[in-house]
Amino acid sequence: MTAAVLERADELFAALAEPNRRLLLEHLGARGAATATALAAELPVTRQAVAQHLAVLERVDLVTSARAGRERRYTVHVQPLTAAAIWMNQVAAQWDERLAAIKVLAETP
Amino acid sequence: MAEDRVERTVVIAATRERVWEVLTKPEHIGRWFGPGTPTAVDLQPGGVMVLEPPGSGERYLARVVTVDPPHYFAYRWASAYPDVVADETNSTLVEFRLNSEDAMTRLTVCESGFASLKIPAGREHFSSYESHSEGWTEIVRILADYAERNAP
Repeated sequence: MTAAVLERADELFAALAEPNRRLLLEHLGARGAATATALAAELPVTRQAVAQHLAVLERVDLVTSARAGRERRYTVHVQPLTAAAIWMNQVAAQWDERLAAIKVLAETP
Repeated sequence: MAEDRVERTVVIAATRERVWEVLTKPEHIGRWFGPGTPTAVDLQPGGVMVLEPPGSGERYLARVVTVDPPHYFAYRWASAYPDVVADETNSTLVEFRLNSEDAMTRLTVCESGFASLKIPAGREHFSSYESHSEGWTEIVRILADYAERNAP
């Protein structure tokens, strides 16, 4: 894990701030791999919108794609950036819990 | 997020001395960190403090770095290496600062040094998530929470 990896986290979270993109990622993650057409059939968005969201996700390396006939097949990609960001987020959540527990203990006579 | 550290703060309706006690006494550490039972703490620089995250069944041997009651407490812990005493190469630094605010205490915790951590093979919990859709859904949920809190 390197500092450079962590620096890209902002870009990643900007990409994830859009709810439809997250929905798309969840579906893609559950399927393993899919084309934009297949994803559009499952979601309340057009194929064109799906393709645009996938392009954004691919730019931040959350998905990768490979040609499959006339379309591209997308797969989710949890690379080190994601792992690092998730890890630090979990560390923060754990400290929130521990600090809350310290507060309760200290405030209890 | 660009920084190599996690910082969190809480304001507590108690004196610094009281917060210090909770932070450093075995019976309290066992409750705010560990499984509920008192944990072994050698409260001096270089001393070992045993941390047992609840539900993990694992034991971490943190190394106390600084003890300055009731202002500052620091230790290193090797969260990827159970049963190994923390040193400069395998651990993050955890620092607690206690500041008085009227009758209250502001407690700040800062954990740093993640970027230089080497995670041994098999301890990188998230690498296995890629192949599990359930794990992936959980990751997206966590990322979504984070994104909402940090959106520009």
